[in-house]
Amino acid sequence: MIKKIPYYILPIMAFFLFVFAKIKTDEKAATFSIQNIAKTYTAGNAISISFTTESKTATADLYLIHSYSKIIINAKNENGKLTFKLPLFFTEKTGSVSWHLLSKNSKASTGTFKIIPNNTTTTKIESYLGPRTILTGKQNFTMMVVVPTDGLDNPKEDNTAVIIKDQFQEDITSEQKNTTNFIAWKNIYSRVKSGKMLVSSQCEQTTTKEIETDIYPSIATNFSITYERNHDFADGNQITKLTTSKITDQFGNLVSDGTLVAFYITTTTNMVLKTYAATINGIAIAQILHPDHGDTYNIKAFVTGMAESQPIKISYQPLIKSFPYTFSKENREITVGPLKSFMNQIVPNGIKVVLEIYHNNQLVETLQLDSYDGLAKFYLSPSFYKEKEYQFLIHTLGITQKTEIKKYENHK
Amino acid sequence: MKIINNRNINRLVLIILFFMISTLTLLGMSRILEFLNSGADRSSMLHLELTTEDAYLPKVVWRDLENPAREIEQNTLHKIEKDYLFSWYVKNNALEKNTTKGIEDFYTQNTRKNLYRTIAYNKGHKISIESTTIKHFPELEFYSEDGQQVVFTDKNVVEFQKISQNDQLLTSIQDTATYKVMMLLEDGFWRVRHMVKMDAEPFQKDTVQPTPIYTVSNNQILQNKTSYTIKGINYYPKNSAWDTFGELFNKDTIAKDFDIIKKANLNTIRVFIQYEDFGKAKVKLEKLAKLKVLLDLAEAKKLAVIVTLFDFYSDYTIPSWTLTHRHAEHIVSEFKNHKAILGWDIKNEPNLDFENRNKENVLNWLDHMITVIKENDPNHLITIGWSNSVEATNLANKLDFISYHFYNDMIHLEYETNGLLKNTNKPVVIEEFGVPSYGGVWNFWEGSPKEQAAYHKKMQTYFKKNNYSFMSWTLYDFPHVPDQVAGKWPWQKMRQKKFGFIDEHGNNKPAFQYISNK
Repeated sequence: MIKKIPYYILPIMAFFLFVFAKIKTDEKAATFSIQNIAKTYTAGNAISISFTTESKTATADLYLIHSYSKIIINAKNENGKLTFKLPLFFTEKTGSVSWHLLSKNSKASTGTFKIIPNNTTTTKIESYLGPRTILTGKQNFTMMVVVPTDGLDNPKEDNTAVIIKDQFQEDITSEQKNTTNFIAWKNIYSRVKSGKMLVSSQCEQTTTKEIETDIYPSIATNFSITYERNHDFADGNQITKLTTSKITDQFGNLVSDGTLVAFYITTTTNMVLKTYAATINGIAIAQILHPDHGDTYNIKAFVTGMAESQPIKISYQPLIKSFPYTFSKENREITVGPLKSFMNQIVPNGIKVVLEIYHNNQLVETLQLDSYDGLAKFYLSPSFYKEKEYQFLIHTLGITQKTEIKKYENHK
Repeated sequence: MKIINNRNINRLVLIILFFMISTLTLLGMSRILEFLNSGADRSSMLHLELTTEDAYLPKVVWRDLENPAREIEQNTLHKIEKDYLFSWYVKNNALEKNTTKGIEDFYTQNTRKNLYRTIAYNKGHKISIESTTIKHFPELEFYSEDGQQVVFTDKNVVEFQKISQNDQLLTSIQDTATYKVMMLLEDGFWRVRHMVKMDAEPFQKDTVQPTPIYTVSNNQILQNKTSYTIKGINYYPKNSAWDTFGELFNKDTIAKDFDIIKKANLNTIRVFIQYEDFGKAKVKLEKLAKLKVLLDLAEAKKLAVIVTLFDFYSDYTIPSWTLTHRHAEHIVSEFKNHKAILGWDIKNEPNLDFENRNKENVLNWLDHMITVIKENDPNHLITIGWSNSVEATNLANKLDFISYHFYNDMIHLEYETNGLLKNTNKPVVIEEFGVPSYGGVWNFWEGSPKEQAAYHKKMQTYFKKNNYSFMSWTLYDFPHVPDQVAGKWPWQKMRQKKFGFIDEHGNNKPAFQYISNK
């Protein structure tokens, strides 16, 4: 029995030896050598990278860092060869790719390769034009930025030719620019005339749509104003029209329609009145009502912050020198008028008539009426005006007249 | 009259049912109203919740702002930088968690697809990549007239990544590459339109001539080129243990303590800076001012200082790296010319985090932190305060000197220290050692002030014999010890309170006479 023991032990020992030997082979570091990695690939084409190793079992993973991606690819050991097939989306982007071969027992080998834009695909262009509105004048410009890409949305390589064209009226220019840092760009300068400018670009066979930029007149220059009126009487009814000359920029372009012109009117009593008008075809027209008393207006117009006119002066004649008034109904009713105008015609309705009532030189009350058919009738009710005597001041059309002292008796 | 009859039961049931139905109806209605009133917070429309300040702060240095088109405005540049870093942040986050969150905000419509396809692939293959960028050196290439497009080259971006598949960590890799980037301004966000990776190109390093006082030669630390043996002590003011720079910070207290230390024939102290206390990524200036007061005092008293950073900090995960980098950068560059500092101890006992925080993570973090500190302060030495001599060989070749903490039986002191000296061929500092004088119910009356004195006496003979650099723990007994330090249980705390050479009333304990050697 004891003799047989070696027969039992030997196979067990042999088994352990075998296991040990197996571990030994596994622990030996497999070395991988590059079989096939090109320096550059074209975007969109299939890429596969292979390594060879003397081991038939050792595997490794490939870690890749790319412009937008970081991925791991696994491969099987096929007879000492590991082939890593890059997924399609990964191969579609350009840039330098760092690869790191990760294997358990050996030092990672690393390297880089490059994926370049695919020029066989249809070129695409993204173009950006800005600012989209500019002013006339030599110093103003808009900038066209063109980013040509291949069909896979990768920016073209540097020094790709891009033609940038612009049209303004009869003037069409075209210039070739080469890309650097993804882009080709050009400053397109404004002209002295306002209008629309169209810009487009072309790279290889691809052209863009036109993009518009508006050239607006630059800031207004000084202008003059004139006035026009039916007569020069201060009748509080007629209208005086203020008209600017054609407002232009320094190159003679009419300012944009709707440019606001402010008219500042200073009266003889230094009151400031304002009115506004927007330009149409470079001209702004404002209207002011005649005053209802003699006055002189100083008028100056402004395009705020940009331009101004020379001042003008407009005088208005008083309509009448004096007016009649009568007392009736025991002096309780005061009729002012008829108010007659410069041709002896009755003044337009609505002329302001003010009656100031005094008692012992003390102002008791001020009444106001608008004229109707040239007349204004005030009635002093005995229940309110109980004093024995009153005196009156009457103002209308800039004229003031003082009545004599009137006596009143209380009628009960 | 019988109270309990069928009629009364019916009534009761009806009444209860009525109350129950009313309550439920009211509850239901209130729930519906609540639901209708909830919804997206209006402020979320404005994306106000996003701020880079605390999320992602790699080092960014704009090297060149010249460009042939429009001159860039500082505030625009700041906004571009912020959004560009966000684009990295959401990309890193996407690759780690395979989510598309945030990508819409920082990548244009056409560009998003590239990330989405990668995420789909990685999700399918169970790949997760934790990554961070460490440094960016962008150069402006183009800024358009209308301020809507910008192109820049981000040179030599250092990326660090941890790669895992099927929840298995494969490896970690550092890669340097240049990226050319075009961004567009779309509804208030700068979004990446094109991004092309390019090979990194070497560029000139800033050549600042270091002017160190403390240097290292073989196993020796040198001070102005003469051999310097650290005879030191770990220092907290008596009443602000583990809170040196807190509310109780007082210049006079520290000055008095420094006098005691200097008179006791010690030449070096070790102080601690807590990451949160100092303001995390945005270092608080008042804390720096306090540190400066302490360092200036040390300089005046001719004491060298080892400043330990990142105390009470243990987040080594990659997404937080850049924040800790800014913290360290701010502190060390502020004091890079300070004469009192002997060196920076990056972290106290980081090996205690090996188990819970992944050793690999901790070591990678320390490794990068060494680089950050060296770059910002070439004048001072760098060490790490390992908690034992076995782990003290980690990263040894990157450190200027080796520090370890010795709380073992003292017969092992020479064996452990000499082993390190031989293996690393660097100076070795026994950066902490000591025994508590506490003897009480919690340790079976094991220690006593006398035994403490005997321990220090013996230790000093070892130090003197071998000319070892040492730093004892600690100057004072502390009336209060925070829970974070030793634990919350009394048997843990009581020991920790009694390590000092001076008791909490300010009287020298017997051990005080063996605080140093001549």
